[in-house]
Amino acid sequence: MATRSSETAPWCFAAPGLLLLSLFLVLPFLLAFLFSLTDQRLLASDALPTGFVALRNYARLLADRNVWAAFRNNLYFAAVVTPVQSALALGLALLVNRELPGARLFRTIYFMPVATTMAVVTVIWSLFYAPDPGLLNRLVHLLSLGAIGPRDWLRDPRLVMPAVMALSIWQGAGFQMLVFLAGLQAIPRDLYEAAALDGAGGWQRFRTITLPMLRNTTIFVLVTTTIQALQLFTQVQVIAASGASAPVNTFRTVVLLVVQEGFRNGRIGYASALSVVFFLAVLGVSGLQRALLRGRDGP
Amino acid sequence: MPAWQAGGVGGRARSARPLVRVQVVALAAGVLLGCGAAGGRNRITLWVHSGPGPERDVYRASIRAFNESQNEVQVDLTELPEGSYNDQIYAAALARQLPGVLEFDGPYVTTYAWAKRIIPIDPFPAIRAVSRDMLPTLVSQGSFNHRLYTVGQYDSGLALWGNRKLLAQAGVSPPAEPWSLAEFEAVLGKLRRSGLDHPLDMKFNYGAGEWFTYGFAPILQSFGGDLIDRRDFRTSRGFINGPAAVKAMTLLQNWVKAGYVNASTRDDADFIKGRSALSYVGHWTYASYRAALGQDLVLIPMPNFGGRAVTGAGSWNFGISADCANPQAAARLLAFLMSPGEIARVTEANGAVPGTFTALKTSRNYGPGGALALYKEQLFRDEAVVRPATPAYPVISTAFAEAVNDIIAGADVKTELDQASRRIDQEIEDNRGYPVK
Repeated sequence: MATRSSETAPWCFAAPGLLLLSLFLVLPFLLAFLFSLTDQRLLASDALPTGFVALRNYARLLADRNVWAAFRNNLYFAAVVTPVQSALALGLALLVNRELPGARLFRTIYFMPVATTMAVVTVIWSLFYAPDPGLLNRLVHLLSLGAIGPRDWLRDPRLVMPAVMALSIWQGAGFQMLVFLAGLQAIPRDLYEAAALDGAGGWQRFRTITLPMLRNTTIFVLVTTTIQALQLFTQVQVIAASGASAPVNTFRTVVLLVVQEGFRNGRIGYASALSVVFFLAVLGVSGLQRALLRGRDGP
Repeated sequence: MPAWQAGGVGGRARSARPLVRVQVVALAAGVLLGCGAAGGRNRITLWVHSGPGPERDVYRASIRAFNESQNEVQVDLTELPEGSYNDQIYAAALARQLPGVLEFDGPYVTTYAWAKRIIPIDPFPAIRAVSRDMLPTLVSQGSFNHRLYTVGQYDSGLALWGNRKLLAQAGVSPPAEPWSLAEFEAVLGKLRRSGLDHPLDMKFNYGAGEWFTYGFAPILQSFGGDLIDRRDFRTSRGFINGPAAVKAMTLLQNWVKAGYVNASTRDDADFIKGRSALSYVGHWTYASYRAALGQDLVLIPMPNFGGRAVTGAGSWNFGISADCANPQAAARLLAFLMSPGEIARVTEANGAVPGTFTALKTSRNYGPGGALALYKEQLFRDEAVVRPATPAYPVISTAFAEAVNDIIAGADVKTELDQASRRIDQEIEDNRGYPVK
């Protein structure tokens, strides 16, 4: 009797979660996989029933330069944003962790962008990025003593991604800061006191105590930031929809392409194939990341 | 056989009778449909686009007038933001949640007609009477597979707005006849020398969307190109990427390269503030331009860039969804919206071309010497080309608009147009040419 209940009890506890996950995560993914093998349209006509097309959608993906551009933009964004945003968050966490007057105030200030809707952040930053009288252009002009002229940040094919990165990092870093802060506060004080007694300097204490003790936190932050970065959508959607923009392939991401193909062009089969490939790519990236981070005598 | 079809067949025999009589028949049929049994009014939901333009206020007033004019039908108005209107009705159609009556943005209606999510409206006698009076461009826009699906209160006008004062400063007088390409470029040069950095405004601030297709396909058509082969809508190869199209889009690219057009413009300010002397845009800017420039505002015919002057056509149009519980009442609403008074109400506000010949006759702006009469003349000179009425239109428009956006930014014209053509042809092939049953 006791053994039976210990076998079924965990399942009972897990059941609600498993049910919801399979209903809203596993099932849609299976459907997407099935649709990806068909020519499913958003609006079908009786005159043209949905048909099985085998791997045609996947073959088309390989030949579609928009798809390659979208993956390139995603990787570029994730490769820059993940390390920069995580490092910045750690730096902010170290700053606000000091027992100085006003530290709490700064914590709130750094966290405020996170509480702001991304769409709003993007619209406001678009104003900063405005070509002629924009805030950023004036700042650059002032700081470079007039050497750097005004740039059209969101229309210049080389500047649009960095511009998106900057606003995303600004908006997102506060959240990772909070995670790091929690990690920092869990490090026992006496470790630092002992190190100070042994004559360790600030940098040595950071390298030999703080970083190793934050190991799990760092892994968590890196993995989640990477996944978030790969799912980049809102920022580029707002920019794409707000008037004159750079050539779309210089900033369109995979998720935006999926939405546009599926809901604007009505190509559900094709969009499904793209999301299946994207899912596998994200899975691969985060799997690789975990393997690399855990590889070195990790927990 | 549904009641509205029976009414339609009966109506066909009496089609010569006056509109009023026909409406009485429609009304009787509507009551017989059964909704009257509850003693209340038939309710219909109407979806319209809503943007910064004046149309929203007009629709509110029209629907109030309709609801007060009779006791049988009650219309509930829902306004959806213009920017995502097409996406929203797409999603609603998918979920089978379309309202009884809704608006479509020009040729986007064709997809819904093909998928049978809206019903043909020519069986309704009142609509048939209206359609005989409707501008041919609007009939063509609302038709698919030889049936009429939508009616439009107004057609659009596309030409150049000029700033009389700035033109005079540069020694340019507004022409009565379309400028040739050489004349047009000479004017741009003169304006530039008179001190205007960007003499031409092309509304790039609208972004890579429907405006790019509506506004710039006419340049391509002027040279003899087109978005697609209109004979059977089976291929775009050689049309959207043929030599004529490449020439036309190279021209557009050169204007941007030469700086005649400010490619990063953000709003209407360039023309309103007098930084540009010419604005290449549709009728919808009339009210704001007029308010800003007053007597200095002048309408200039669409230039003859290639072989002939071509301008755009088509605009928002109304159809009845297949899920509509009471099509008879819906048809009555459409007939009301198409009455001369209602057409006058909306076109007075937005400056569009009144959609019926009757309404055109009494329009102040479109009468002889009217401020906007040029749009009507362009339409009647057969310069207007409607956007292709094929279910592939959403993909055609996306592909072309993205190509134009890249071309403006300096990409290779032929490569971009080839890419657009490939996307369009693939779409048509994947849908086996959109068979109809």
